[in-house]
Amino acid sequence: MEGIRSGAVSAHHNYMISGMLRPGFLVGDPGSAKGFYLLADFLLPGENTPRISGRFFDERGDMLLELTWNRLMLDPADCLYRPTPYGFHLSKSSGEIILETTTRRFPNGYITSFSGRLYDEKGVLKLDQEGSSARLVGNDSIMLTAPYQGCFGKEKKNA
Amino acid sequence: MLKRNRYMDRGTCLVWVFGDYADYFQNRVTLQLIAKGKALASELGTRVGVVVLGEDIGQYVMEYVAHGADVIYAADNNALKDYDVELFTAVAASWVEIFRPEIFLAGATAFGRELFPRIAKRLRTGLSADCVALEIDRETGAFVQTTPAFGGDLLADVVTPVMRPQMATVHPGIFRELPHDPFALAELIHPPLPNLPERKIEVVRRRKEKARRASLTDAGVVIVGGKGVGSRANFDKLFQLAELLGGEVGATRPAVNAGWAGEERLLGQTGKSVRPRLLITIGTSGALQYTAGIRGSETVIAVNRDHSAPIFGLADLGIVGDADRILSLLIEELNRRL
Amino acid sequence: MHIAVCIKQVPDVAAVRIDRERMTIVREGVQNIINPSDYQALSLALALRAGLGGTLTVLTMGPPQSEEALFEAIAAGADRGVLLTDPCFAGADTLATSHVLARAISRLEPLPSVVFCGNNTTDSDTGHVGPQVAEELGLPQVCGIFEVQPESLQTLLAKRVRDGYLETIRAACPVLFTVKGVSEPVLLPGLGSLQSAFSAGSIVRWGRNELDLTMDETGLTGSATRVWRLRAAPHRTKGEILTGQAHDLVKEILKRLEAMSLVEEEQIHG
Ligand SMILES: Cc1cc2nc3c(=O)[nH]c(=O)nc-3n(C[C@H](O)[C@H](O)[C@H](O)COP(=O)(O)OP(=O)(O)OC[C@H]3O[C@@H](n4cnc5c(N)ncnc54)[C@H](O)[C@@H]3O)c2cc1C
Ligand SMILES: Cc1cc2nc3c(=O)[nH]c(=O)nc-3n(C[C@H](O)[C@H](O)[C@H](O)COP(=O)(O)OP(=O)(O)OC[C@H]3O[C@@H](n4cnc5c(N)ncnc54)[C@H](O)[C@@H]3O)c2cc1C
Repeated sequence: MEGIRSGAVSAHHNYMISGMLRPGFLVGDPGSAKGFYLLADFLLPGENTPRISGRFFDERGDMLLELTWNRLMLDPADCLYRPTPYGFHLSKSSGEIILETTTRRFPNGYITSFSGRLYDEKGVLKLDQEGSSARLVGNDSIMLTAPYQGCFGKEKKNA
Repeated sequence: MLKRNRYMDRGTCLVWVFGDYADYFQNRVTLQLIAKGKALASELGTRVGVVVLGEDIGQYVMEYVAHGADVIYAADNNALKDYDVELFTAVAASWVEIFRPEIFLAGATAFGRELFPRIAKRLRTGLSADCVALEIDRETGAFVQTTPAFGGDLLADVVTPVMRPQMATVHPGIFRELPHDPFALAELIHPPLPNLPERKIEVVRRRKEKARRASLTDAGVVIVGGKGVGSRANFDKLFQLAELLGGEVGATRPAVNAGWAGEERLLGQTGKSVRPRLLITIGTSGALQYTAGIRGSETVIAVNRDHSAPIFGLADLGIVGDADRILSLLIEELNRRL
Repeated sequence: MHIAVCIKQVPDVAAVRIDRERMTIVREGVQNIINPSDYQALSLALALRAGLGGTLTVLTMGPPQSEEALFEAIAAGADRGVLLTDPCFAGADTLATSHVLARAISRLEPLPSVVFCGNNTTDSDTGHVGPQVAEELGLPQVCGIFEVQPESLQTLLAKRVRDGYLETIRAACPVLFTVKGVSEPVLLPGLGSLQSAFSAGSIVRWGRNELDLTMDETGLTGSATRVWRLRAAPHRTKGEILTGQAHDLVKEILKRLEAMSLVEEEQIHG
């Protein structure tokens, strides 16, 4: 039916993305060696910090950084990772924000929202800022209803 | 690969519950209805869904999922920020027309009781009021909605034979909620919003009600004293207890006649009816003319020195003891904990 | 300003007894009265009219003897009464009841700017009729008010208690209010006069034909619900009854209060 959007929602933790709650989502392929991806992993009860991974580029398609489970692994453009009381903050050396996460805590669960803009390796906008929250551009995201079990690019090379 | 989750085994979702989150944590009726709705849905081979309207409703959505909702129908929209009967009617009725549920339940809260008649009327379907039991009749398959009649002495079994959905408001505290399950997953649906009517009603001021007079019938906690309270001085302690619990004071006929409380506090057949979450009745025998006014209470605690007092037949917790002694100790203990 | 008030005649509950064997209410010797919250609605309507001027119409749907309720209201100051009576109106659920009332109100001239109903009746107590009349007439509703005052020519300020809060609500006319909790409704029988109550033309009677309703829209056939059966309420099962030392008993009460989140759990000081 037209105009009906649907997905899954978890009782424990969700990401607020494109105006909807989602327990986890993935854009792009973390297994690729070079391309853009954004992985907002599914959290199990007991886990209260969202796990974010990704390989991000600027609007010209130049690589900015690679983040694996909230840790800066590659940082060719001298970006800055800063934890905040509610999540973390990624910015370019110029100070411009790349991505910021905010996790709100409720008596019974958590909701994480994003702000920022992300581009892929071709400089195509993948995550856009919409008011105070973020929206995925395009229809190529996959919803996660269990923790991500695939591999990341580097591990694959080593194996 | 991703594991297939149960939420993905989509079937129809034909039992709906209206998600009333006002006064949340006090008001658990939506959770109770999800549990009951789930039981009804499994008898009908379908799933239970909850309609959640408002702005920034994520935490309520997640709470309903944790308590057993299979599907959430949500609108997270600034225009729906505050409860409004006309707006919510427009949205809920339009979604019923899209998804065509068989059953639609709401708590008989102040809001549920003014919203549901309007939705039912718009859909030209039947609605039963303040039900105390719901079941599917084994023989006929009818959805039987039981509502108290004539002050609660009789029960009326109401059915809606033809029109759909079969709608009911349900008395809080009748059904038991499911335990909170943080592992639960549900399907989340954002149906389209219809054209929204403009708000015609505006709440210009809202403040905690202090005036005792007007709120006895709406109070969440009511402390009632009867003849057994013994004296005016003792009766005054009921006011202290009520203050400590954020409640109101009621009285039986003899207590009013003794001048311990005004006529406006009289409960029963010739006085007011109350439906609090908690009613503590102290030194009252439990005459029918009095209990007619307290039947709607969710939980009743009775204090009486006579273990055979009829009031115990109605109490969830009966305390055999001296009214004044129990009152004084309770107040002391509550004061200590402040 | 034209104000309409819906009133229903109900048996005086204080005097009603239930025959549990035959599952009927014993109405012998029981007086009929105006439903208490309708009486309160009428008192607010009279006060509003006293301030704004205009006419006040009372309507009731019921058997022919419900006319008494209209007389009583006119004697208290209402200008005219509409008796909605027809054998085919019998057995109506709230859907069908509100249909007849809404149709009748829509035939009043001029159209009322304010419609009052009671919040609920003491006999079947659904509380549906007010909101359903509002829905059919396309009016906004404010339920459970105990006071209303004009704010401007077109807006009214009403007060109600909701979830422990005192709310002041602004509503633009036309609007429907349901009323409850008026502490001392004052109806002064002398305000109108018995003479005007009984004078010709103060009460009109409308049935199905006058309202252009089909059989399918009224009474039992126009209803979506059916009362399937009436049965005696089982006596409530007993909970625990505890005896013992007052201190221990009070602890048990506190445990219940904690379970209901009415008091915080005792902190354990180490
Ligand atoms: C037509 C009609 C209408 C009526 N309408 C109403 C009405 O609307 N509301 C109403 O309340 N009544 C009404 N009544 C009166 C009603 O029948 C009862 O008489 C009344 O409810 C009894 O009030 P009570 O329980 O306070 O007093 P009692 O029946 O005298 O009971 C007092 C109780 O306190 C206990 N007690 C005594 N001392 C102590 C102590 N130290 N510690 C602990 N417990 C103690 C006793 O064991 C006893 O059970 C009506 C009566 C009639 C005929
Ligand atoms: C045992 C029993 C159970 C019932 N259960 C249901 C049920 O679950 N669902 C259902 O739809 N119907 C039910 N009914 C039918 C219902 O009682 C009638 O439709 C009745 O005419 C209106 O309902 P009420 O008295 O509850 O009015 P309420 O909705 O409680 O009345 C609110 C206000 O509307 C106005 N009003 C109501 N009736 C009239 C009238 N006749 N004339 C003028 N003004 C009026 C008054 O201002 C009144 O204060 C039941 C009837 C019985 C006997």
